[in-house]
Amino acid sequence: MKRRGGARRAPRRRGETPYRLRLFVAGNEPHSAQARATLERLCQHALRGRCHIEVVDVFQDYRAALEYHVVAVPTLIVEEPPPVRYIVGSLSDEATVRAALGIEGGTP
Amino acid sequence: MSPRPPSRRELEERLRRAEAALGAIRAGRADAVIGPESALVIRAKAAEQALRESEERYRLISQMISDYVYAFQVERDQTLVPEWIAGGFERITASTPEDLQQRGSWTSLVHPDDRPAALERTRRLLAGQDDVSEFRIVRPDGGVRWVRDHGHPVWDDAQRRVVRIYGAVQDITERRSVEEQLLQAQKMESIGRLAGGVAHDFNNLLTVILSTTDLVRETLPANDPRAHDLQEIRKAAESAAALTRKLLAFSRRQVFQPRVLNLNLLLEDLETMLKRLIGEDIRLVITRGEQLGNVRADPAQLEQVILNLVVNSRDAMPKGGTLTIETANVLLDETYAARHVGVTPGHYVLLAVTDTGIGMDEATRRRVFEPFFTTKGPGRGTGLGLSTVYGIVKQSGGSVWVYSELGVGTTFKVYLPLVTEALSEARKAAAPAPARGTETILLVEDEPSLRRLVKRTLEASGYQVLAADTPRYALQLAQQHAGPIHLLLTDIVMPEMRGPELAAALAQSRPETKTLYMSGYTENAAVQQGLSAPGKPFLNKPFDISTLTQTVREALDAAG
Repeated sequence: MKRRGGARRAPRRRGETPYRLRLFVAGNEPHSAQARATLERLCQHALRGRCHIEVVDVFQDYRAALEYHVVAVPTLIVEEPPPVRYIVGSLSDEATVRAALGIEGGTP
Repeated sequence: MSPRPPSRRELEERLRRAEAALGAIRAGRADAVIGPESALVIRAKAAEQALRESEERYRLISQMISDYVYAFQVERDQTLVPEWIAGGFERITASTPEDLQQRGSWTSLVHPDDRPAALERTRRLLAGQDDVSEFRIVRPDGGVRWVRDHGHPVWDDAQRRVVRIYGAVQDITERRSVEEQLLQAQKMESIGRLAGGVAHDFNNLLTVILSTTDLVRETLPANDPRAHDLQEIRKAAESAAALTRKLLAFSRRQVFQPRVLNLNLLLEDLETMLKRLIGEDIRLVITRGEQLGNVRADPAQLEQVILNLVVNSRDAMPKGGTLTIETANVLLDETYAARHVGVTPGHYVLLAVTDTGIGMDEATRRRVFEPFFTTKGPGRGTGLGLSTVYGIVKQSGGSVWVYSELGVGTTFKVYLPLVTEALSEARKAAAPAPARGTETILLVEDEPSLRRLVKRTLEASGYQVLAADTPRYALQLAQQHAGPIHLLLTDIVMPEMRGPELAAALAQSRPETKTLYMSGYTENAAVQQGLSAPGKPFLNKPFDISTLTQTVREALDAAG
């Protein structure tokens, strides 16, 4: 069962790149909780809501983790825009996350 | 999942991801790993467990080394904000950490007199220096606790300032109290010495007053109204003598109620109790010295000395053994005294308690009488038993020594000054029957009024008295005197020659002459200094006429 409690949907605006993000977490374990909070904050501010986040709790659905070849959680998969990128860890290093999302140095 | 085999590129990508995952796991940035069957929270749980264990360890160590520990965060304006406090903060300060936060500053806990030093300490910490300070904490109810606070600042290189202060606090109220008691004891000893000196001079004067009053009264006809006035003088002098005695007792800390007693009799009384105390595994051997001399001590305190030593020996023999208690008369000579600090040569009664226990090493032996020093486990000893022994023995004018060999056993030797007084209160109760004689007495006393008085009194009792103001003159008188000299009655402390030296010099030409010492020092002290011997009469100043004549008669009648 996929849990989509953390999903953020924003109205699509013409000409703007949408972000499709899949975050694998382990319940409310400390790194998972931090990763989720960081991602939601980035999505709201840096990406101005132009993102779709799907949160997968591996305690509820670990098969999804196998399917996506996730080895350790939290793992963030940036599915869109391509190429697909994986970031493992609590996302505490915001600079790395911004680089992975292509929003280094400001908003895209 | 895709049914087709993964391409090389895909495999490389998965490997990169696995490596990234492994890195995150190793760095402790992952909560769980995905196994083939389930998500495993192995690493995260292990970390949690480690954290819990570490916290427990930390809490225990904190408890062991201190009463509470704390961390203050240092703001940019150098104010200190409590971050956390762990341990017995509330027990010591009777405040909660929240109270501290409300009061604004930790120095609000500190005794007003110690605040300047406390602020100075904060300054040192903020400058990056470690600091160990002792100060008082005032509880809301006004109670005061002494604490020792070891503060450690944490320097931040980036901010170039101290950002946090860690500290460990110990409650040292008990230790402080002991230190203060020791200081107090030293102070008391100084006062005692001063009082003792004054009392010595006073005793001479009071002897003259008391005895002269008695002499005058004897010359008054019966029903003379002046007898009442003399009685008033006597009463006043007796009050002064009582005051002098109190002054001396004060210097020995008052609770001491010495009596003349015999250690053999005391041991007889205690034997049954001691046997019960040491249990069945330990054999008790009591060897009583023959014709054991008496000592002057507080009986209850001396019992305490024996009990504490026996308990200590018992505890040194957990597997059983032999506990020997010995008593003996001993003479501690100059050689012994030179090697033992605080020992005056003289006659002593020895109480030795020996065990065949575990023994102790040099370091333990050296500290064995220190207050609160104990090698026994928690709840077994207070570390005060042997300190008490030490204090009581010292107070009784004696000394205590310990001899020990690891694996062989330990002997505690207590030396108490031997006193010549009899056990019973006979002397006090003795009726003032006229004690007279016709013998010749050589009197040596440098204090003129006392010399005149003693001469008058003894002559009035029928004796022939040769009086000298110095030992030299006394020897001259003895040489000139044709007849026998039955008794040398001399002061102990005199210029040019001490009483015992005079007695020895006189004995060369007149070995038959007996000696009676008189002194303002207590008999106890005189015995300690080897000035009096067991069984020999001794004249304590101040004395009244009947004591003088009685003691002189006793000395003349004494054998040898």
